[in-house]
Amino acid sequence: MKEKFAGWDTLFLQYLKRDLKKIIVWVLGLGLFSAAFVPAFEEIAKGQGLLGMYETLLNPAMIAMVGPTPIEAAVDYTLGAMYAHEMLLFCGLFAMVVAALHVISHTRKEEDLGLTELVRSFQIGRQANSLAVMMEILFINVILALFIGGVMMSFGVDTISVEGSFLFGASIGMAGILGAGIALVMAQIMPASSGATGSALGIIGLLYIVRAGTDVSNVDLSMINPLGWTYLTYPFTENNWIPLIFALIFSLMMMVIAFRLEGARDMGSGYLPEREGRESAKKSLLSVRGLFIKINKGVMISWLIAFVIMGAAYGSIYGDMQTFLGSNEVMKDMFTHSGISIEESFTGTIMMVMMSLVSILPIAIVNKLFSEESRLHLSQLYATKVTRGQFYWTSIGLAVFAGLAGILLAAGSLGGTAIASMGDKLTMDIFDFLAAGFNFLPSVLFFTSLAALALGWAPKLGKVVYIYLAYSFLLNYFGSILDLPEWFSKTAIQSWIPKMPIEEFDALIFIMITVISIVLMILGYLGYKRRDMIEGA
Amino acid sequence: MKEIITIQGLEKNFGKFQALSDVNFTVNAGEVVGFIGPNGSGKSTTIRILLGIIHRDAGNAKIFGKDVWKESIEIHKRISYVPGDVTLWGSLTGGEIIDLFLKLHGRGDKQKRDYLIKRFELDPKKKAKGYSKGNRQKVGLIAALSTDSDLYIFDEPTSGLDPLMEAIFQEEVEKIKEAGKSILLSSHILSEVERLADKVVIIRQGKIVETGTLDELRHLTRSTVTLATEGDVAEMAGINGVFDFKQKDNQATFSADNQYINDILMEASKLGVKKFESVPPTLEDLFMRHYEG
Ligand SMILES: Nc1ncnc2c1ncn2[C@@H]1O[C@H](COP(=O)(O)OP(=O)(O)OP(=O)(O)O)[C@@H](O)[C@H]1O
Ligand SMILES: [Mg+2]
Repeated sequence: MKEKFAGWDTLFLQYLKRDLKKIIVWVLGLGLFSAAFVPAFEEIAKGQGLLGMYETLLNPAMIAMVGPTPIEAAVDYTLGAMYAHEMLLFCGLFAMVVAALHVISHTRKEEDLGLTELVRSFQIGRQANSLAVMMEILFINVILALFIGGVMMSFGVDTISVEGSFLFGASIGMAGILGAGIALVMAQIMPASSGATGSALGIIGLLYIVRAGTDVSNVDLSMINPLGWTYLTYPFTENNWIPLIFALIFSLMMMVIAFRLEGARDMGSGYLPEREGRESAKKSLLSVRGLFIKINKGVMISWLIAFVIMGAAYGSIYGDMQTFLGSNEVMKDMFTHSGISIEESFTGTIMMVMMSLVSILPIAIVNKLFSEESRLHLSQLYATKVTRGQFYWTSIGLAVFAGLAGILLAAGSLGGTAIASMGDKLTMDIFDFLAAGFNFLPSVLFFTSLAALALGWAPKLGKVVYIYLAYSFLLNYFGSILDLPEWFSKTAIQSWIPKMPIEEFDALIFIMITVISIVLMILGYLGYKRRDMIEGA
Repeated sequence: MKEIITIQGLEKNFGKFQALSDVNFTVNAGEVVGFIGPNGSGKSTTIRILLGIIHRDAGNAKIFGKDVWKESIEIHKRISYVPGDVTLWGSLTGGEIIDLFLKLHGRGDKQKRDYLIKRFELDPKKKAKGYSKGNRQKVGLIAALSTDSDLYIFDEPTSGLDPLMEAIFQEEVEKIKEAGKSILLSSHILSEVERLADKVVIIRQGKIVETGTLDELRHLTRSTVTLATEGDVAEMAGINGVFDFKQKDNQATFSADNQYINDILMEASKLGVKKFESVPPTLEDLFMRHYEG
């Protein structure tokens, strides 16, 4: 037993040293993001702010996004309660993702690159690496938790108690450890690092969506969701430490499972077997389009499935909405006054969220062309009669197709499930849902075209498009909570688009953004046609 | 003679770094040209310009009399290329990748493909992520060799191949040569191109430093010989064609002009040879000598 882990401490110290910069950015970035918005929230809370917020956040669409609060009366909704309600789930999710990516980059990815082999040839046990990485994660997240707690406490706000602050920090730290545990198991099961990353993020996404459903319908059910163990601690209100204990036990179990799996497999392989390949190619592969479909297939299918699940999860919430309204007079009044149904309001908000996520897929497909280029996969094909235009427009075409399919599946699955769960009581039919979804087509095209522009002129910036997407998403996410100036909200492309079905379809905007996107794609092509292909170096 | 490739005054900068400063050479119809130079000298860069993968900053480059950048697609219909570093899609098999290349190239020969797969002992059913470096190289070579082109460009084609496979490659290239095709073959080992090349072009730090037939370059090629004799090995120092003579006990190491190798052997055998090893000239030796004179 000891032998297997021999040398883990050496590796552990090595990692701390090597990752020092990353750890500092991680702890400071995530820590400040989680803790430092207290003054901003104080602003919001002024006057009637807390009351208004309480009502806004009781909307099921909001609960589906940010999570529930244990508070039952507006008067009890303190600054601390609001802060935890709006921030904790999101920050925890963030911590989970970062930790999962870190674990995979130190385990499976290094193994794929052959680095592990090198390390293992020294006097290092078979499983020392995994243990070292988990210890590093533990170390980072403990620091992160303490840092967050310390920063929050330092603001000296009455309702942000010391216990609450550290519980808030600990919940986020625990989320990181949970994410790491899940990732470590996936790193053993999957045959390669890309699969491990995809499946770990997929599971985290799934947990998020499942909890959206259970939070609205029955919060108790969220208690059997690992992601639930982070935000259900309810810092500043109930200060419940018990979920963290569940999370710790669960993480330990994940680690034990991962170590078992790792101990029993060969280095460089996974548990899901490789299939025997074909001696010669199928006709469908033999074209640029066939090839691009083939190399993007995995990503496309997994995202499209994710969209369907996401739509279904949000759709299932519809059935509970009326019950929800029945129990809440304030909300009921609000909706009767404004003349829009709670379902319509929910659809408008959720559609924006889903369409932001749908945009990820086309960006990934466009960026794929550059990653193929820099990995030298296309070198030999450049010297055939295939033109650069074919490479470029095939990628763009595939991306646009994936975007359309994504919208159709996400909106269709949301509508389908909503109708199934409500029956005749729902005032919208499936076409209303599809219209609300395709209404966002210009924004999906816009993100695609930004990636295309980068591909043509500055391919290394392709990843920046994701950052803009995340930025736009956050702006919209917090935009509905915070009162942002108009011009600031408008820096997110989705803000230009009316939220159907609450708002009217705007043909001018629809056409304008679409045309701009097409122009950007053509500009990107002009760059792609004339630039040097970047190979290695 | 018809010129297939014509390069004049070619220059290429990567930012401030000048990768090519003055490249001139031609490849004629039916000719095999060895393009040699040390690591980083600009071989791959020149080839990438020829293929229209990157721009040139100055000079002219034509293939079949057409501009390599503007008319690249016309050119590509009649050429085949194997990059120096063959990387493949891990999820496709070698067989699928070869088929894809042949289809996109447009003039592939299915029978030749099957023949070459056997000849190179490649397992075409294996997913590419399971291939070794040499096997990946084979995939690239089989794909290029199974097309019917007028010009073949190979960038360090035998890197990673074992000697047996290297020999097979040379045989296959010889067949193409006999069929009257033109071939540009880059390498950093002279001996690798020696057997096939009619002409050798030597590049160093982005400049062509020597061009000529092998005969013309013969004065540049010397082997490094290690010789141990029963008699006094020092006598070898004075013989024609022996340079850089160094002696340790009764063992000597020296460079030998290949054209005098017969004389040298005769002299050596008079002294009673106990050991004779000859290493073909490496490119560095060649350059050293090139700058000596
Ligand atoms: N895209 C690029 N960006 C910057 N520098 C480059 C780029 N491509 C090549 N270089 C530089 O240009 C020089 C020539 O490189 P090139 O690949 O042509 O050499 P080579 O002769 O093929 O060498 P080798 O035998 O190692 O393959 C090298 O110094 C290399 O670092
Ligand atoms: Mg090279």
